[in-house]
Amino acid sequence: MRAYFRNIYAAVSTILIGMRITFKEMFHPSVTNQYPYQYYFEKRKNVRGIHKGFRGQLYIRMEDCIGCKKCAMICPVDCIYIETSRLEKGITLSDTRAVVRLKDQTVWIGELLEGDEKIEPGTVVKLRDLDGNLHESPSEHVEHVVTSKKRRLKLDRFDIDMSLCMFCGLCTEVCSTSCLYMTQTHEFSTYDRASLLFHFADPSIYEGLTPDETETKAEDGADASEGRKQKAARRRQREETA
Amino acid sequence: MADLRTEEMELNMGPQHPSTHGVLRIVLKLDGEIVLDAEPHIGYLHRCFEKHAENLTYPEIIPFTDRLDYIAAMNNNLGFCVTVEKLMQLEIPERAEYLRVLVAELNRIASHLLAFGTYGMDMGAFTPFLYAFREREHILDFFEAICGARLTYNYVRIGGVARDVTDESLKLVEKFLEDFEPHVHEYNDLLSYNRIFLKRTVGVGILSPEAAISYGVTGPNLRASGVHWDLRKDEPYSVYDRFEFDVPKANTEIGEIGDCWNRYMIRMYEMIESVRILRQVLNQIPDGPTMAKMRAAIRPPKGEVYMRTETPRGELGFYILSDGKNKPVRVKGRSPCFTAMSAFREISRGLMIADITAVIGSLDIVLGEIDR
Repeated sequence: MRAYFRNIYAAVSTILIGMRITFKEMFHPSVTNQYPYQYYFEKRKNVRGIHKGFRGQLYIRMEDCIGCKKCAMICPVDCIYIETSRLEKGITLSDTRAVVRLKDQTVWIGELLEGDEKIEPGTVVKLRDLDGNLHESPSEHVEHVVTSKKRRLKLDRFDIDMSLCMFCGLCTEVCSTSCLYMTQTHEFSTYDRASLLFHFADPSIYEGLTPDETETKAEDGADASEGRKQKAARRRQREETA
Repeated sequence: MADLRTEEMELNMGPQHPSTHGVLRIVLKLDGEIVLDAEPHIGYLHRCFEKHAENLTYPEIIPFTDRLDYIAAMNNNLGFCVTVEKLMQLEIPERAEYLRVLVAELNRIASHLLAFGTYGMDMGAFTPFLYAFREREHILDFFEAICGARLTYNYVRIGGVARDVTDESLKLVEKFLEDFEPHVHEYNDLLSYNRIFLKRTVGVGILSPEAAISYGVTGPNLRASGVHWDLRKDEPYSVYDRFEFDVPKANTEIGEIGDCWNRYMIRMYEMIESVRILRQVLNQIPDGPTMAKMRAAIRPPKGEVYMRTETPRGELGFYILSDGKNKPVRVKGRSPCFTAMSAFREISRGLMIADITAVIGSLDIVLGEIDR
């Protein structure tokens, strides 16, 4: 009989101990986020933003892609399709831009003034971005540096099938120009699976290019000869430096 | 009257059952409410990991190990990478080793928190689940900051770790550890010593130490059966030999050796031990590179290797047979949950139907790892 009541007492008292903890929560601010109507990036108490290095939807800056196909090779699920062809003789495309990624996942894109792909400790990495702003960081904080590279291939096709992607991020790490990267976008669900095949290649950008135009951007003969002179001068300069 | 037997009944539990923790089907043979036999049927989540790994290069396999035990993906990454490194005899930079221990122990806490939360839910207490997820969120938040993903991290790599950790991120961990330890005592008040919870778990589903060893049960389930065995202590890998921590023992004051309550309680003790390890990691972590100097293409030498590590669920082993090319010839995973599941049949004989959920929850199985 005594054990019976002791049992009841133990059950009630331990529940009350638990209730004391839950009761304290009554005075804490709510952490619930009404998600589709209220977004994570809205500044609210207890709601944080999304982190810089988040691995979301893949995106590629096509103007920096050299068509090396390293991303397609390493993809464990083969969801990147690339087709390239040679450029016509005489056509040159602009060089790719340098990219510096810091350890806190800040990315700078532009012209590399100081530093190299091999990051030496105790040096400084300097970069001028596209707006002309100067960025500088000691090499201890730098995670990844990519220098400017020549573009020698025409990209006829660059498709990424996001319905297959497993968001491992391996493709972004091997990218030789760091132009393939993962954005913070993670809400891209659709009703149609085919719409998750993203086409990035734009063949129309190669259409207007003829050998003369790309070299000199001139129409008449005089300017063309001027262009040839420039070209010769540039070649001489290159030989001198080499 | 005693000779009178009622008709036996077969009952399907699962595959879609909230307390089977995934897609698991159990065929119960019942005599009234007493379970005569419980036959688990697995394989609903089979994804051919081992066969698939034969067609992938070594770095490409790592994201697939994320998806074995998706609750403790860091520990799975670590297990696979340590195996390949043992075959290659690679030297790992100090900082990378410390970061590996850091993420592995944090993931252990996250995994045990989930085990604690869902076990409370199996036993009819919903509130602890929300408390566990609140703390787990801080850990996932840290993982998102350092590797960009919340569940499938792909962070530990062959030769080191993928990204370095900034000091601000480490401060996040420090702050979390400060808050976390009092929370564990809160959980104990909330659930562990609750009378109703004790009534449902103490003395239920006893796994004797002999049976546990003969079934190959490892990890917290083995330690709850009174066998003092932890690979971090007995066969140290990475830099675990540098840290001071205890391997928790089963509590015989309240529970019995090898019962559901002890299997649950060992995980609560382990979280405290993980906090101890993490504090030492934060104090000792050196500066330096996070990736070993090696060739871009990973080609381990010809040979075979077996290496085991301690995940939150027990001993995770990988066997790799290499012929010197960039793809393995054979990969075999030794799953800790699979052995725990095989002991389930022995544990559950003679129990009531309601105790079956208590046993499954206390074994803390993840079907993604059992089926692979």
